[in-house]
Amino acid sequence: MSGTVLRTVPSTIASTSAGGEASGQPQVILAVVLGLLFALGTFLVLRKDVVRVVWGVTIISQAANVYLVTMGGLRGSVPILSHGGAHGAVTDPLVQALVLTAIVIGFGTTAFALVLTYRVYEEHGTIDLSEVNER
Amino acid sequence: MQPSQGVLLAVLALPFLAAAVTPLLYRVVGERVAYFAAAVAAGAFALIASQFGTHGTVSLQWIPALDVSLALYVDGLSLLLGLIVSGVGVLIFTYSGAYMHDEPGKAKYYTTLLVFMGAMLGVAFAADLLALFVFWELTSVSSFILIGHYQDQDDSQYAARKAMFITVAGGLFMLVGFLLLYTVSGDVLGEATFRLVGTEGALIENAGAMQEGLRSAGLFVPVVVLIGIGAAAKSAQVPLHIWLPNAMEAPTPVSAFLHSATMVKAGVYLVGRFRPLLGTPEWELFFATLGLLTMTVAAILAVAADDIKELLAYSTASHLGLIIAGFGLQSVYGAETGAFHILNHALFKAALFLVAGIVAHEAGTRLLSELGGLWRALPITAAVAAIAALGMAGLPPFNGFYSKELLFEATYHAAEHAGGLWWLLPAVAVFGSIFTFLYSIRFLSLFAGEKPEAIEHVHSPPMAMLAPPVLLATLAGIVGLGGVSATAGIHLGPLEHFIERVVEAVGASEPHFGYHLPTSLTPAAGMSAITIVVGAVTYPFYGRIAAGVQRLIAIDPIRPNFYYDGLVSWLDRTTIVSGTVHTGRLRTYATWFFLAVAGLAIAGYSGAGVVFPAISSLAAEPAMVIVLAVAVVAALAVTRAPSHIAGVLTLSILGFMVAIFYILASAPDLALTQLVIETLVLVLFLLILDHLPEFYGEVDRIRALRDGAVSAVVGITVFLTVLVSTAATPGKPIAQYFIERAGVPAEHGSTLLDFGGGGNIVNVILVDFRAFDTMGEISVIAMAALSVITLIAMRERGETQ
Amino acid sequence: MSADPRPTDSDTTIIAQTSTRVVVPIILLVAIALLLQGHNLPGGGFIAGVLTVTGFALIYIIYGLRYVEQGLLHRTVVPRSLPAGDDESQAGPPISKEFGEIFTTGLALAAGSGLVAMAFDLPFLSQGVLFVEGLPLYGHVEFASALAFDLGVYLVVVGGLLTILAVVGAE
Repeated sequence: MSGTVLRTVPSTIASTSAGGEASGQPQVILAVVLGLLFALGTFLVLRKDVVRVVWGVTIISQAANVYLVTMGGLRGSVPILSHGGAHGAVTDPLVQALVLTAIVIGFGTTAFALVLTYRVYEEHGTIDLSEVNER
Repeated sequence: MQPSQGVLLAVLALPFLAAAVTPLLYRVVGERVAYFAAAVAAGAFALIASQFGTHGTVSLQWIPALDVSLALYVDGLSLLLGLIVSGVGVLIFTYSGAYMHDEPGKAKYYTTLLVFMGAMLGVAFAADLLALFVFWELTSVSSFILIGHYQDQDDSQYAARKAMFITVAGGLFMLVGFLLLYTVSGDVLGEATFRLVGTEGALIENAGAMQEGLRSAGLFVPVVVLIGIGAAAKSAQVPLHIWLPNAMEAPTPVSAFLHSATMVKAGVYLVGRFRPLLGTPEWELFFATLGLLTMTVAAILAVAADDIKELLAYSTASHLGLIIAGFGLQSVYGAETGAFHILNHALFKAALFLVAGIVAHEAGTRLLSELGGLWRALPITAAVAAIAALGMAGLPPFNGFYSKELLFEATYHAAEHAGGLWWLLPAVAVFGSIFTFLYSIRFLSLFAGEKPEAIEHVHSPPMAMLAPPVLLATLAGIVGLGGVSATAGIHLGPLEHFIERVVEAVGASEPHFGYHLPTSLTPAAGMSAITIVVGAVTYPFYGRIAAGVQRLIAIDPIRPNFYYDGLVSWLDRTTIVSGTVHTGRLRTYATWFFLAVAGLAIAGYSGAGVVFPAISSLAAEPAMVIVLAVAVVAALAVTRAPSHIAGVLTLSILGFMVAIFYILASAPDLALTQLVIETLVLVLFLLILDHLPEFYGEVDRIRALRDGAVSAVVGITVFLTVLVSTAATPGKPIAQYFIERAGVPAEHGSTLLDFGGGGNIVNVILVDFRAFDTMGEISVIAMAALSVITLIAMRERGETQ
Repeated sequence: MSADPRPTDSDTTIIAQTSTRVVVPIILLVAIALLLQGHNLPGGGFIAGVLTVTGFALIYIIYGLRYVEQGLLHRTVVPRSLPAGDDESQAGPPISKEFGEIFTTGLALAAGSGLVAMAFDLPFLSQGVLFVEGLPLYGHVEFASALAFDLGVYLVVVGGLLTILAVVGAE
């Protein structure tokens, strides 16, 4: 019952996103955005401050997730089927499954990186990477 | 008769399973685990012995989808090696029980030794090149661990690294040879195969065609040389022999087991195994030269050695050279030499190593110059040493005599056939044998004469250390006496028959093997006589010869070790790598990593001739553009954030924008997850930032420009990649399979197994189609949590030093 | 940001505390709903797991770690006024042990659910659905074996992330 109601909701969302993209058409906007995000993330990774390095890694992994979803195609409805019913064009569920776990694991690794940062500070008394190396 | 599949699998599985339980068992029974290991080896020995007389292949489906199977092959050669490995294994484990009494790291020692034994049995029975290679490298790795057993000694570590470096590098050469064989087999046999032996489509069964195929591809000599390098590295052939003397840093039972009786036999085994496939004049030239050269050079070096284990190490290399030379020679005598000497050498050399272990253990030194007159204190050991050392010297009627006689016969035969320079072969064989005779007698002399003052009271060794060498020497003695009785017409039937099977396996058709003392003056008998007479005459000048050799090997440029050490220390010192890449700074690593990835990607595109799509329209809708624009602005703000708190908050804006992007991209699951995770990330960041100092690292202009350039390169690469990859339309997306099979079909019974049976395709993929991947992913989360606990909650533990 | 839990969390307002009391049960309920419906509708073990963790995180922040341990789990806690590291014997906050058990259970459940399939001679981790018709009140019910696996995922996510939060928060 409630399922059918919910099922219609995403399809309206999908219809709004379905415009614009023709098959074989490069995603120019996303290419620009992802290029910028990767560049900014790279810049942060190259900083001396460990916290900024963690930020950089976070941004890069976010951008990678967005890239994966983009690769699956932005056109199509929500990948949810009704029982026995025919299904139209849905967005690629495989990349979504990949990204779903990537998000959660990303949190795990971010947490690990942060805790490492904290321990670095405890052990070395600094979060300056150029100084950590010397001690 | 076909071998039994179950028995063979049990033979392979038994040592590995035993190795898995050894650390636990050690906690329970302590060092008595040695007898458990000995029992395992005895079990393997019994199982292999039960296959005596069988011949053929058994295979077990391993990964049916990829047509990978584990194939095992049994013939005389694999049985011989298998029996030596497990048989000597029994004795070594028994001996270790007493020898390792006061040594550290016993659990690790027995585990590794068992793993080694399993790997070695794998080498013996593998019917396929890949399995052979894997087991082969496994023996190298276990040898590395065993040589480096004394972890706090620099010599031990140096020796372990050296052995690993040389044998594994040699193994890689061998792998290239295997891959070439595989490629050529595709052209010759219609279907490329790694199967070496035993089935219709196997390489050895089509040796003639393979040789032709290799020759027409111009790969014959390269393959011989590549496989030869692998065998030479493992079997310590000149100039790759240098690791073997250092390997004597290992505990003596390891030296006896790995570095004399078994592991070094792997190279020899390889040569024997490939002999039917590649045996040609080129093969003969390469291996006969390599073998005889090693036999002579190593024998000369052994004469110069003062440490008894070093002497035995060089002697091992020398005898392995003898076997390789035998397998290299094309006549049936050559095959007989190799086959018979594998057995003889295992018997006398393992016995001698164990004797050396007893001497070192009881007399407290291993230096020849300090030892002497031990026969009073160690009478049984002295008897064992006499039988074994005289066999090593090649004196009739001890066992080594017969196989050396066969080598003389084989070299003489080859020289007679080819003439010319080939006459060098018998000459070199005799020359090398003289040195063998000399050092054998020198080894024996440490039991003779009067005991020097410096050596204090020598205890007699415990039974567990004495019984194994006694057994080995008895067997060696029986083999020797077999030759005497055969002269009188009574042959040692089973042994001769067994060696016959081995000879058959290394490529002689219809062999007829028998051995006895020479009854007439054959050329070989004459060569033996020369060896013994010259040896006996020169023995009084042993000291001078040894000193001469020592002076000679003090000249750096003729020492292979000089080049090895030079190379290694150059690699250590050189700043080409450490100054530019390996600086210990994250920044340097990251820069190189990013630039390398970007460079490879761009090079790949230009190499593959990727055409970048023309940009005709921006192809985007307003909502998405706005969301993405906010995300970019947020990222920019993160980069320029004045404080950590501000940065984290703007980072969250980016995260929430990404969540909205997921909604717009019809990915509700992702959007939900992203929203919640973003909240948690924020909480976590704030919790941690509370403890961190206000350090933001000033950015100077030059550095910012440099990093900006790197970032720009990365950004442009990503931009191009996204353009290219989104413009492409794959013909048949993988996802279609999941979409079709995820849902519940219109008609279904009360249970549903073929389909995913769920409406949410993403979830069905996660929990059903790719559930195994999800298993791995949740393990990662558990691992992250454990790491955090370890880093924080357990930080006070384990940092005692 | 109550990084060090104090007996009375005076730094959070009454409004925050009250709304937390209202919101957390809703969050947990939604999380469970997402877990159960995940096979057919948006949701699943991962999402439900992280949502549950957010609920707990909210309690941590508003009431402090101490409240969770004493008030919710009825356990007496060694005062953590000592600087970390003084007491050699203590191995982290006691609560993380419980969370550790949660993700261990989850992993075991996920792997175990795969072994069940092997008992029926199907490949590891094969899933099936059982349809039951004509139940009173519910009528038509589907039992997906995948739910067991999803529950394992849920427990791992909850246990793992809560461990991280608790360990970090206890500092």
